[in-house]
Amino acid sequence: MAWDATDIALSIVKIAIVLFVMLNITPVMAWVERRGSALIQDRPGPNRVGPFGLLQAIADALKFILKEDIIPDRAHRMLYTLAPAFGLLPALTTIAVVPWGRGFRIPEMTIAGRKLFAGGRWFEPIVADVNVGILVIFALASLGVYGIVTAGWASNNKYSLFGGIRASAQMISYELSLTLAAVSVLLVAGSLKLTDVVWKQAGYFVLFDTVKIPAWNVFSPAMWLSFIVFVVSGFAETNRLPFDFAEAEAELVAGYHTEYSSMKFALFFMAEYMAMGTMSAVIATLFLGGWDIPWYHEPPTFLGFALSGLFMLLKCAFLMFVFVWVRWTIPRLKYDILMRLGWKVFLPMAIVNIVLVAAFIAGGWI
Amino acid sequence: MQFAIFFFFAAVAVIFALVVVLHRNPVVGALSLVASFFALAVMYVLLEAPFLAALQVIVYAGAIMVLFLFVIMLLNLQHHPETPTRPVQQFLGYTTSAGFGIALVYYLLKYAVFEKLPEGPFQSDVRAIGITLFERYIFPFEMVSILLLAAIVGALLLSARKGLPPKHPHEVAP
Amino acid sequence: MIPTHWFLILSAILFTIGVCGVLTRRNGITIFMCIELMINAVNLTFIAYARQFHQLHGLLFVFFIMAVAAAEAAVGLAIFISLFHHRDTIDVDEANLMHW
Repeated sequence: MAWDATDIALSIVKIAIVLFVMLNITPVMAWVERRGSALIQDRPGPNRVGPFGLLQAIADALKFILKEDIIPDRAHRMLYTLAPAFGLLPALTTIAVVPWGRGFRIPEMTIAGRKLFAGGRWFEPIVADVNVGILVIFALASLGVYGIVTAGWASNNKYSLFGGIRASAQMISYELSLTLAAVSVLLVAGSLKLTDVVWKQAGYFVLFDTVKIPAWNVFSPAMWLSFIVFVVSGFAETNRLPFDFAEAEAELVAGYHTEYSSMKFALFFMAEYMAMGTMSAVIATLFLGGWDIPWYHEPPTFLGFALSGLFMLLKCAFLMFVFVWVRWTIPRLKYDILMRLGWKVFLPMAIVNIVLVAAFIAGGWI
Repeated sequence: MQFAIFFFFAAVAVIFALVVVLHRNPVVGALSLVASFFALAVMYVLLEAPFLAALQVIVYAGAIMVLFLFVIMLLNLQHHPETPTRPVQQFLGYTTSAGFGIALVYYLLKYAVFEKLPEGPFQSDVRAIGITLFERYIFPFEMVSILLLAAIVGALLLSARKGLPPKHPHEVAP
Repeated sequence: MIPTHWFLILSAILFTIGVCGVLTRRNGITIFMCIELMINAVNLTFIAYARQFHQLHGLLFVFFIMAVAAAEAAVGLAIFISLFHHRDTIDVDEANLMHW
């Protein structure tokens, strides 16, 4: 396919928008986490830096930048420095295949009588609309293990090593149930492209000939089970409570990032929140209808694109708030119970759900 | 543009493969092998097989190499540095593999240069692969599942220290 | 379109590097990683030929090679772990109990 200058310019605009949102997740989520946890625990939370503590994130960023950067004596210098980059890579690249708005036809734009943009070009708001979109998400998510395991080993600290190995064992176990839970979505959508998955959810389920429920996968009778499995496995993949053995703040000092300070720790911090954001975007796309606005048919214009983008953002924001909510509500699971749940409960549930969905499709109810 | 991508990722694959072979530390070797596999996945995309590229990253870079890293870290190999090979073995090894490589490239250039590709697109999407897999290759598919079961049981038995763990906490291990 | 023989030459280079690693190194796990490198070079050859002749059989073969390589990696690493538990070393030159 031939790419001309306009295609390249549009791609750069898409990448800029996605990067802007992803890089801003960390300060916003840091504030939401601290105020949200304070709300749940009935205490004020940060309220000194700026109104309602809104500038707390800037104060944190300044602290991270100005702190001394320490490398432990016997640590492996190159891997110790590269490990936060490994952690950041999957979080930033997975968002490239997630559709975040409705495609629209760009109208012709003129400025002061001169034609700025020849209209008619279709703008699809997804950075890379590959034919194997769902598989790319799993491929890049499975690379998230390396940041943790490298950080744990390179720190030359037995607590970091334990934290790193436990966390990576947990992540590879829950990757299986994550992948199998998404297979049911792929079976119903009939395609691996994420734009097709979202378009399949743009219709309605009609109950009793009057009530129209949006055809999101979470409301589908075949896929509510895989929604539960996917969300719980998503918590395990991003190392959030109740599965946060990687950090385990009361047990392992700070797990795999014990020996990290200042900017390298800030990178791990950012990587965790960005992974949370990416997982929320993937859950919203696969199960909550992506950019689809319920009970409204979005027109293929800029207005439709803007509204659908806004709704996608709202869904992701809601899911990230759920991540924070669960963190401060549910206690941490014991490690052997965690692994037992992953292999003996969620994996069979995901497999049973695939058979269920296949039965529904064969019976013609989907 | 495809040529630029090909050369860049071919260079990445070869350089990281050389790091695997030449570096002392096995952890650095394992991580360079991951980078090499990722570059190979890009090669598969250039060869119009995106499904296999995603599978390469999921299976090889995401699972097999994690297993390698686990074993290297659990065996604590940095306290057992590798003694360097004897010079005779090194010289013979390098010369033999260099001769083998040169002969391979020579014969490839002599006999395996194709002029053109067949007409039309290459139907390598997931649907076609799935249909071929479940119609013509159904027997190897089932055999591979039994093979994986055998591998799981074998790995469990081989890595147990003194027999299997006892069934009840009061029993002594056999 | 990139000519197929370029991919074949890249595969030959990677295979040669793998052979060099197997012949020159003493650490068992590094030798195993070089074997995986050789397997991947062969995968690249299969896919290059599949594209050249527009046949899917090369791709299916690579699918099965990946599955078999996963099984082999698991069992091979288990063997290395038990070797380490008995001899406290991973050096393959020390695994010489059956030497004459």
